[in-house]
Amino acid sequence: MGRLLLTWRLAIRDIKRRRVQSALLLLMIVTTTTTLTIGLALHKVTDSPFARTRAATRGPDIVAEIIPPPGGAHDATRGFAPLVHATGVAAAGGPYPLAFASLTARGIDVRAEAEGRDVAPATIDQPALTAGRWVRPGAAVIERGFADALGLHVGDVIRLNGRPFGVGGIAVSTAQCFYPVSTPGVIWLTRRDADALATATQPLGYVLSLRLADPNSASAFENGNAAYAFGNDTTNEAKTFMTSWQDTENSDFKVVSVDQKVLLIVSTLLALLAIASITVVVGSRMAEQTRRVGLLKAVGATPALVAVVLLAENLLLAVAATAVGVTIGRLVAPVLTNLGNGLLGTPPAPALTGQSVLEVAVVAVAVAVGATAVPAIRGARTSTIRALDDPAHPPRRRPSLIALSTRLPVPMLIAVRLVARRIRRSLLTAASMTIAVTMVVAALTLEHNDQVRRQVSVIGTTTVAGRVTHLVFLLSAILIVLAALNAIFTTWATVIDSQRPTALARALGATPGQVTAGLTASQLLPGLLAACLGIPLGLALYQLAGGHVSEASPPVPWLVAVIPGTLIAIAVLTAIPARIGARRSVAEVLRSE
Amino acid sequence: MAEAAELPDRESLQGYQLRVVREVLLALLAGEASHGYQLRARLALALGPLAGALNDGQVYVTLNRLEKAGLVVSERVGQADKPDRRVYELTPAGRHQVTEWLGDTSWPKPAPAEFHLKLVAAAAAGLADPVGLVNQQRRALLVGLAQAQRAALAEPDASVAALLLEGVVLRLQADLRWLEACARYWNEAKERR
Amino acid sequence: MTGTTGSVLSASGLRKEYGEGVALVRAVDDVSLEVAQGESVAIVGPSGCGKSTLLYLLGGLERPTAGTLELAHRRLEQMPEAGLARLRRRALGFVFQAFHLVDELTALENVELPALLAGASPRTARERATDLLEQVGLEDRAEHLPSALSGGQRQRVAIARALANGPAVVLADEPTGNLDSAATTEVLRLFEQLHADGQTLVVVTHDERIASTADRLITMRDGRFVDETKLTGGTQRTVAEIAGLDG
Repeated sequence: MGRLLLTWRLAIRDIKRRRVQSALLLLMIVTTTTTLTIGLALHKVTDSPFARTRAATRGPDIVAEIIPPPGGAHDATRGFAPLVHATGVAAAGGPYPLAFASLTARGIDVRAEAEGRDVAPATIDQPALTAGRWVRPGAAVIERGFADALGLHVGDVIRLNGRPFGVGGIAVSTAQCFYPVSTPGVIWLTRRDADALATATQPLGYVLSLRLADPNSASAFENGNAAYAFGNDTTNEAKTFMTSWQDTENSDFKVVSVDQKVLLIVSTLLALLAIASITVVVGSRMAEQTRRVGLLKAVGATPALVAVVLLAENLLLAVAATAVGVTIGRLVAPVLTNLGNGLLGTPPAPALTGQSVLEVAVVAVAVAVGATAVPAIRGARTSTIRALDDPAHPPRRRPSLIALSTRLPVPMLIAVRLVARRIRRSLLTAASMTIAVTMVVAALTLEHNDQVRRQVSVIGTTTVAGRVTHLVFLLSAILIVLAALNAIFTTWATVIDSQRPTALARALGATPGQVTAGLTASQLLPGLLAACLGIPLGLALYQLAGGHVSEASPPVPWLVAVIPGTLIAIAVLTAIPARIGARRSVAEVLRSE
Repeated sequence: MAEAAELPDRESLQGYQLRVVREVLLALLAGEASHGYQLRARLALALGPLAGALNDGQVYVTLNRLEKAGLVVSERVGQADKPDRRVYELTPAGRHQVTEWLGDTSWPKPAPAEFHLKLVAAAAAGLADPVGLVNQQRRALLVGLAQAQRAALAEPDASVAALLLEGVVLRLQADLRWLEACARYWNEAKERR
Repeated sequence: MTGTTGSVLSASGLRKEYGEGVALVRAVDDVSLEVAQGESVAIVGPSGCGKSTLLYLLGGLERPTAGTLELAHRRLEQMPEAGLARLRRRALGFVFQAFHLVDELTALENVELPALLAGASPRTARERATDLLEQVGLEDRAEHLPSALSGGQRQRVAIARALANGPAVVLADEPTGNLDSAATTEVLRLFEQLHADGQTLVVVTHDERIASTADRLITMRDGRFVDETKLTGGTQRTVAEIAGLDG
């Protein structure tokens, strides 16, 4: 028990002592776990909801519509007769009256298509309710995409052609594409209510559902019967439409698939980059961890106890971060998963199962354990004195770089030597900066893709495009925040590590300005490398995650601007901690050695 | 406060340890009997840097005294009866003396009792402030240490002279430490009063 | 209070305090010091008496809480950091107890560092460094890393480094604190030599042997100067005389 308490105390005290560092690390891990959570949640939105909805609603294989011209009122359903008796037709549903009315809801005026239905369930195409009840006199059932767009819920009141109706329910169907893929939006009423909406200028139309003996032959049927000019009422010039279920699926899927593709890309990017960046961050802490192992051993802790203390500290951070990250992810994810509207299987509720939480927790814990294991093992193997004396890797000597640096002005001399003494750390820095730049480039590509999409989108109406844009923007923001945090952490760690050599330089006569400039430049060198590598990597990663770079690669000026942008960002992020460090008394630093 | 503290000038002969010269002579004779002049040369060699202050005549005076004490016998060789021509040899008593001297592990007085008593007396009689005396002594020792150190640096590194002087320096350092302790003690005694 | 014309380093009423209220610590308490050109001053005292702090104050590596300080005729206490750094590289050489050599640089590269930081050309710096290493007797170790040098050799490299820019004053903080007896002698010789060459030295130490190479020895206790002794002058005595002193 005593040992447990001791472990707890040591871990807590150490976290408290390095408050800033722990806070930064916590922030980084939290962002990472949040990102991971969102990524995982989004990744689940990949299965095909169309098939499920079709099965649940007994969706039709063929949908045929007749829309009479204004003034044409007589029995247009006669036109359906040849279709009903065509070969391959197994069953028919309807015909149902179609009224086109003006729907007013929450101050918005929009055109709606009202289908008159029986109260009793139909054998073909019975829309499945996601809320409320099926049609009743005076109550309308709204198609879910339509309802979402208008912000309608069960119990709201709408007006159809000025007459009030209650929203009795919300349903999905595969007879037509969901709103706004298919416009105008669809609502269902009782036959009587629908009939009553017909006006002289807008007479009733009719819709017929067909089930074929062979559903896969729907396209053939469509082609074969199109010539069968049904609705043979040429004098009245009624409009006729026929759609197979494959057409509907494709249209639906096209939208969903684009969105899903975007989600897939983004979620993969997020997960990969989050894990990569946290690995780099943790990796850069290894050196000091080894020293602490040595210290603990020197005061008498057994290697086992040492490992436990380190593990406890890292686990504490990991668990805290996971909890916070999952919570935030849980709140943010539903905003993003609210896609596939109009189709079952993508509930607006957060797609966050216990499994997701477990997955995130596993990653966080794995990282924590990994971060502990290496220094603990190394500490157990090396002698205590060695662990105390030299950090994990004593600075290496690079004669060529040292010789080169003598020809440079003082800040660059300092910069090159700082990089040369810890090449591995510099590479690690470059790696994490590359990741950051990759994130930024990926975000740019996403953003640009989205813009292009909005421009060329055939089906795009404001709502869909707007939602996806929202999505893209939010996720790009997350990427950039992660990148910035990454950069701050890395530069800050470097400043701490170079405290002694920079203090010595100042004692020997370098001004604080020269030292700050040197430190900043030492970060700019890996930064330049990172910027050059990150651009192609960002594009490649985007492509790997499923996007097509060729169709919408960000314009070259944008990409080129990434380089100076990165350098400026790094310069600023380094200068601040460097400046703070340069103000610290030289004597203090030198004496603490 | 900045006084040049000088060491009292001492007569080099008086400062010399005659007893030590005696023992060395006896020891040299234990190896083999020697002529007077040989003995003088061997003694000079053995004393090394310390031989500087040795008076020529002093050797023979010492040998004379040793003979009178029965530790050494001498024999005239040849015609002239000059001390340097005589051959000297150890007696059994002399041999015993040498063995005793070599085996003797007594070390010079470990604590400067005299100085301590100086302080006690001064304090008791109210003659002077003990702390002041300590500081005065300290300054003197520092000057002495400086001299010894400088002399040591002037000698070649692994030489006997350097070795001897290192001994002086280290002991003075030890004495200075003790003086620090004295200062602390007498300071506290003052405060208690 | 300005120093006399001959003094290279002049401090008056220096004070350095840490903490506040009950926890106030006066590491240096009202210290005044004048060091003339070519003079060698040693400051001795028990550990914790503030002598290291004093040295850092004299070197501009710490700011005094009160008092004035003049080095090479420039006032230090109000000078901005950059100015202090520039003054340091021109007029000061520092020798630390822990050597503070750069581990991944050779002896030669370590010694040329201050010159490079002062803006000298690589060749000039390299030549000067070679000369200095010769002066301290380590020319055959020029390409060695500090890890391949003994403690005494490392400190000699550090001393050579301190001389790189021809400083007006060399400040040494416990230069033999981390050295054994033999290494101490090496460093001792070097300090004697420097002093003989006319270098102004201020050495802080608790080892009286190092202090003995100085002209003046100042004793410090609890942040104050309590005693001063002149070490030069007096008759020269022989080894025998010196050795015969002990009972």
